[in-house]
Amino acid sequence: MKVLFISGALMAGILAATSADAASIYAGQTQAAQVCSHCHGVRTPSADAPFPPLAGRDVEYLQKALKEYRDKTRKSDIMNAIAGSLSDDDIADVAAYYAQQAINP
Amino acid sequence: MKTAKSLLSNTLALGMAAFLFPYGAQAVSDDAQKYHRLYEENCASCHGSDHGGFLAPALNNETLKGRSPTALRTIVMTGSFDTLMPPFYGRLSDDDIRGLVKHLQSTPKLDNPAWTIDDMKASLKVYISDESKLPEKPAYAIDDMDDIIGVAARGKYGRGEGSKAVFINSKTHQKVGEIPTNAAAHIIDYNPANPRWAYVKNDTAEIFKVDLYSMQVVRSIKTGFNGPGLGVSRDGKYLMAGSYVPHNAVILNADTLEPLKTFELEGVDPDGNLVSSDSGMVIGTPYADVLVVALENAGQVWVVDLKDDFPVTKIENVGRHLHDAFLTHNGTKLMVASYDDSIVTAIDLKERKIIKKLDAGCVPHVGGGAAVQVDGRTLGFGTNFGDCSKTVVSVWDLDKMEVVKQVPVAGGTESPAAHQNAPYVAVDIISKDRRARTVQLIDKKSLEVVKTLDVGGHAYFPEYSADGKYLYVSAGYNGDEVAVFDSTSLEKVAAVPMESPAGIFSHGRVKYITRGLSPEESKGAHQ
Ligand code: HEC
Ligand code: HEC
Repeated sequence: MKVLFISGALMAGILAATSADAASIYAGQTQAAQVCSHCHGVRTPSADAPFPPLAGRDVEYLQKALKEYRDKTRKSDIMNAIAGSLSDDDIADVAAYYAQQAINP
Repeated sequence: MKTAKSLLSNTLALGMAAFLFPYGAQAVSDDAQKYHRLYEENCASCHGSDHGGFLAPALNNETLKGRSPTALRTIVMTGSFDTLMPPFYGRLSDDDIRGLVKHLQSTPKLDNPAWTIDDMKASLKVYISDESKLPEKPAYAIDDMDDIIGVAARGKYGRGEGSKAVFINSKTHQKVGEIPTNAAAHIIDYNPANPRWAYVKNDTAEIFKVDLYSMQVVRSIKTGFNGPGLGVSRDGKYLMAGSYVPHNAVILNADTLEPLKTFELEGVDPDGNLVSSDSGMVIGTPYADVLVVALENAGQVWVVDLKDDFPVTKIENVGRHLHDAFLTHNGTKLMVASYDDSIVTAIDLKERKIIKKLDAGCVPHVGGGAAVQVDGRTLGFGTNFGDCSKTVVSVWDLDKMEVVKQVPVAGGTESPAAHQNAPYVAVDIISKDRRARTVQLIDKKSLEVVKTLDVGGHAYFPEYSADGKYLYVSAGYNGDEVAVFDSTSLEKVAAVPMESPAGIFSHGRVKYITRGLSPEESKGAHQ
């Protein structure tokens, strides 16, 4: 699944571009969330989308899942490509971000 | 409401098959037919059922020529971040996505298909035949129907469960009802003569007549394949809907939704060419029994008198590529945006002629428009996509019809909001980066940007509540909520969750001809 590297690269681009501006209103953890939310949503899971909702999930579970995707011990073409470009800090931030979101109906 | 919802979607599912596949005849092989169908079901509401583009780029053998199939396949799988393009990974199989890309790269833009008055009549559906049995007042607590705010929720995929019109009580910020619309809801209009009726148009040009008291659809009709144009006459008796595909407009009986007359949209453009044209904005005015439609490509504005056989007065040479418009001076003057000339053309609807063409930034998109009274002047605010080096919002003196100021803003803008009781004119920044998450507030007096609000998702379509106390903004794309701010302190006071919210339409709009003017000014002042 070579093509998916493109999305990984795109992700890395987005994460890198925004992290320079630490003082901005875009707090660290929301950067990744902007990317992730394209598939997973933020608080409102899509009625039609096949992606698992992440809001309000256990923070440890989210971190473990992301690390497994990164190590490719858990296989998913799309998540392997995306998690491949995340640092430990990114994972901690984005997991914390999603874990603290209240779930909307 | 539950029953109404499932009833509606069942009926829609049955009806849908009939119009989903208008090009069946053109498809040759089984494969072509299969992919054509996949395209119509999943992509056409955004990319156009003729492959000619709508809210999203045209996808055909010309536009995709030479593009790498692999790159295109990736876009379809992952979607395009920070845009409406959703990820189809897991929704369509890998083989289907490959097949679709191949199909798109080999399919020409299709001819404009016909959708005649007979097709419209056949698509008319009646869900509630005896309207006299409907409740006499709202089935929920509300002080005044003008407190209703309607939001066009697109849904992540532009169709399906997430696509609906959501109605909110703008005093309590609670949802009071929702109407499933099958494809993304796009425009919500209210009947000026009877507060119970709303009209919702979706991205596949279906119009739903909604009873706001019981929050259900009573009738629906399909007026074309796409195009946002919809307007209601001042007496609440007629609707007019205009399409991009096909190039027509239709007058409907607002009560029964029966089509009364269709208009082929074609005419001589400002460069002397006879062209067939998309329908731009459609608008009614409190000043007369007329409905007005802009012919985008022909650069003409047609005024249709609502009598006899609906005679048309054509105003030519309005501009190149017209789009939307707003009214001023008790509805006697119409300000029409022209994309390609970057002007707004003021039209006198009494005389039915052009008054003046005003500078309007670049690629003006005036949204519903906004006008305010400050220090004895009536000022109009013009948003524009700003696809050029300087990004400004134009401010015009609408009495003198001249430019007062070009206010520098952070990026391109799409839609302004104003209210007589609110201190700021709000404009949504649409530039494709993080600025898209913001709304900027222009002080009515100083005409300077005084504040930038981050709404937490792609921000668009600001709208004030009818009392002016709250500013509603769609935090679309991935924010997935409508954010509500106090209009003076600009503190966030509430959030209403929904999938990809877009246009926001206050019921208060029936009282003022243009947002920002008071009902009194809208009635009589400044004739
Ligand atoms: C292009 C779509 C897409 C994007 C973008 C995306 N994901 Fe995923 N995600 C998926 C899919 C598909 C799955 C299911 C994979 C599987 O079968 O394991 C998934 C699964 C997950 C899971 C496992 C959930 C569970 O219940 O086990 C986590 C955690 C996750 N994603 C986090 C993220 C984060 C964090 C980001 C942003 C950095 C992100 N995803 C971006 C598509 C996406
Ligand atoms: C909800 C609206 C919506 C739907 C539904 C949708 N798209 Fe898109 N699509 C967009 C938008 C908006 C863009 C432009 C994205 C951008 O500017 O990055 C786009 C871009 C694309 C592009 C890239 C075009 C280019 O010239 O770069 C392709 C290819 C595409 N879409 C294919 C599809 C296919 C195939 C489907 C159906 C399976 C589909 N889209 C469904 C909104 C949509």
